[in-house]
Amino acid sequence: MTDATAAEPTSGQTRDLSRARDMIVCEDVSKWYGDFQALDKVSATIKEQEVVVVLGPSGSGKSTWIRCINRLEIHQEGRIVVDDVELTNDLRNIEKVRSEVGMVFQQFNLFPHLNILDNVSLAPIWVRKKPRAEAESQAMALLERVGIPEQAHKYPGQLSGGQQQRVAIARALAMEPRIMLFDEPTSALDPEMIKEVLDVMKALALSGMTMMVVTHEMGFAKEVADRLIFMEGGQIVEQNTTDLFFSNPTEDRTKLFLSQIL
Amino acid sequence: MSLSDHVSTPSMVVATANVPWAAPPEIPKLPPREWVKENLFSSAFNSVLTVVTTIILLAVFRGFLSFIFNPVRQWNGTATNMQLFMTRAYPDEQYIRIWFCVAVILILTGLSMAVWQAGSTMPIAGLGRKLLATGALLAILTLLAPFSASATIQWLAAALAVAAVGEAARRFAGRGEDERTVSTLTVLVVTLAGLVTSLWVVPYGHHTYIAKRVPRVLAEPGTVALTTKLPWTIMLLIVVAAYFAGRLMRDRLPINPTRVTLLLLWLLAPPVLIYLVLRDPSFDMGHVVGTDLPIFAAYAVGGAALLSWLTRPSTGETGRIVAVLVLVVGFCTFLTPMRQVVRLDMLMLAIFALAAPTFGGGPRARKRYIFGWLGVLGVMSWLITSINTPSTVTVPGGFFIGGFSITLMVAIFTIVFSFPLGIALALARTSSMPIFRQLATGFIEVVRGVPLITILIFFSIMVPLFLPRGMHLSEVTACVIGYVLFSSAYLAENVRGGLQSITRGQHEAAEAVGMTTAQKTIFIVLPQALRVSIPPLVGHCIGVFKETSLLAIIGVFDILYIGRIVIPGQTEFMGSTRENVLFVSVIYWIFAYQMSKASQRLERRTGLGER
Repeated sequence: MTDATAAEPTSGQTRDLSRARDMIVCEDVSKWYGDFQALDKVSATIKEQEVVVVLGPSGSGKSTWIRCINRLEIHQEGRIVVDDVELTNDLRNIEKVRSEVGMVFQQFNLFPHLNILDNVSLAPIWVRKKPRAEAESQAMALLERVGIPEQAHKYPGQLSGGQQQRVAIARALAMEPRIMLFDEPTSALDPEMIKEVLDVMKALALSGMTMMVVTHEMGFAKEVADRLIFMEGGQIVEQNTTDLFFSNPTEDRTKLFLSQIL
Repeated sequence: MSLSDHVSTPSMVVATANVPWAAPPEIPKLPPREWVKENLFSSAFNSVLTVVTTIILLAVFRGFLSFIFNPVRQWNGTATNMQLFMTRAYPDEQYIRIWFCVAVILILTGLSMAVWQAGSTMPIAGLGRKLLATGALLAILTLLAPFSASATIQWLAAALAVAAVGEAARRFAGRGEDERTVSTLTVLVVTLAGLVTSLWVVPYGHHTYIAKRVPRVLAEPGTVALTTKLPWTIMLLIVVAAYFAGRLMRDRLPINPTRVTLLLLWLLAPPVLIYLVLRDPSFDMGHVVGTDLPIFAAYAVGGAALLSWLTRPSTGETGRIVAVLVLVVGFCTFLTPMRQVVRLDMLMLAIFALAAPTFGGGPRARKRYIFGWLGVLGVMSWLITSINTPSTVTVPGGFFIGGFSITLMVAIFTIVFSFPLGIALALARTSSMPIFRQLATGFIEVVRGVPLITILIFFSIMVPLFLPRGMHLSEVTACVIGYVLFSSAYLAENVRGGLQSITRGQHEAAEAVGMTTAQKTIFIVLPQALRVSIPPLVGHCIGVFKETSLLAIIGVFDILYIGRIVIPGQTEFMGSTRENVLFVSVIYWIFAYQMSKASQRLERRTGLGER
């Protein structure tokens, strides 16, 4: 792994992103559900074009954190700045951030009453105010890209889980986001379908998208991620470049976690 | 997703999905005697139950039939007053207007049935079995009824004929692969044609009620009056012609614009037919040109300019402030004396202005939005003008129409107006803004805690006293407002159930792609919530339709009032309340049952339960 070269861009470990600009900055982000502290002073910076995988056991706050970044959850302390826009209660900032940040959910959350093409083109038409014809041709192009153009006129219920998740990725991409968030995108899928979704995500990472991925897919993390963040109890326990994270974890908790899943 | 257990690659998922499953083994049908044994006489106790229930049923039927066919019954009263039942005292010389309205409704029905591909096919064998069963039932009822010998023989012959047709259809139907089927629409048209033909052939009797003559009732043997059978024959021809025209439209025209046009026509039909055709206002051209047209023109030009600016994506926050200002101005117009039309137009403009950023955008979207405004404004101005113009149709005693027509009219207006209001209330009740939530909750809880009849009495008697001077509200309009408020509170609760069934994931997905709350509600939440609410909403519509009978209590001449008070009050038909109320119930049942069937078809078509 350590002798990966620039000729092999799939393993992002060798990319030097130190001079890239900051896309997501979190400073001491904390959040409570009642008395339960879900996030405890989480601080991290994600650079442009960087692919970050967030690992951790269930209930460690990974999903809560990623959902704070487009304000599906509201953090109570600290600062989150996305593409130079700080997330506050100001509705205009939230709308701006949400149109820059695409999100893919564990349960796909496609709109069941709309066909695939409408699922993908609805937001560009009404949020981006694109003409319908342009939005639909763009949607078809995206469906080609995720490999299911022939399903465009079916409804979500008629598709397999993997296909639905690929549509969900296309739907997020249709807004031309600068950042993509993935909240356990393969956890609700049958094993055979995980690969088709991960392939789409790998291609997306290769194209230079800034990505933050919560996942348990170690193969994906090793192959694609620039950096790994390990969380537990709402805190970031350890973060490091991918090869150092796997080859030389510093914290005992990380070692234990890796020994259990690898 | 169960497919994935058997296949390994995604491409194979598609392939296997196209292969039909192996058909399950056919369950052989039991021969009749076995079926009876298994289902009715499977044990001693069940046999006793079957026998006792049968005896009770036969006794009930016999009692019912002896009531209907008792020579004491004055069914002549019902037959003679059919026109009164349907339209009350609408003048005979203007009756062509009624038939015109029926024709328009039937044309729209025929077109819509063709465009939405209503109807399906049913096996002829099934139809035959149904006819056979009908014949048998008819024969049993004939034997139970207190008929004279000759009448019994006639009815038995009819039952035998029906059963024979059924048996012939069963023989003709064929079996297995080459089983013959028939379109349900054909069955419907043949049935209707049979009914219409019977008007020309069967001696139902010629009944007429002529108020200006003594004796006022004309009852002669023979077929029904020409003024009844001729229009109905024409109506049948019209609906069949409309159906075929609709099929041509479906084949030749783009489907979606055709459907949207038809829906708009359906929406426009009730007000236009009632206020322009039936009521026939006498327009004062001087007033129209001098006052109504200038107001319309001012709103058309001013509103279009405002909306053109508001729908521009670059307008931003200033636009929202301006829209709220328009709403405030709209409310302020109610504080000073002013023409009603100016106020209503201003409120409508405020609604359009508030929604403008949601629907604005590109040049095409903006143009469509502005034309939408002009269309709504045009229809509104036209209707308000014609409602404010006195009617040329003179009807003794109050409102220009009554009977079943007013029942339908009140039901339609209540349903049409309470839908938007109810949805708005449901959204307000689930809104995150406390003032909306509490207002809606308060309104719903107050209205639901008060009996409908008190609301109607309040609106019909009290509200006219509180109105500002110069504002006049007819009793029926006041009642419709009461019905709308009552119905919207219940409707809101039904819709709220649907809203709560939308998962959090749907909200989050819509928010994550940057939709505003309004866009999320209109494009994602409401379509799904309303689809889930179809069964309770149709139940609600049936309820509204039946509750219009409360109009009878406050003295509006609806069909129940005519059946219970008016006809039994005619000297010729003293005390015929029972017959007429039974007839009214049958009319209510026919319509309510059809609505119920329609809702089942709608549920099947929208694929409820397979989200």
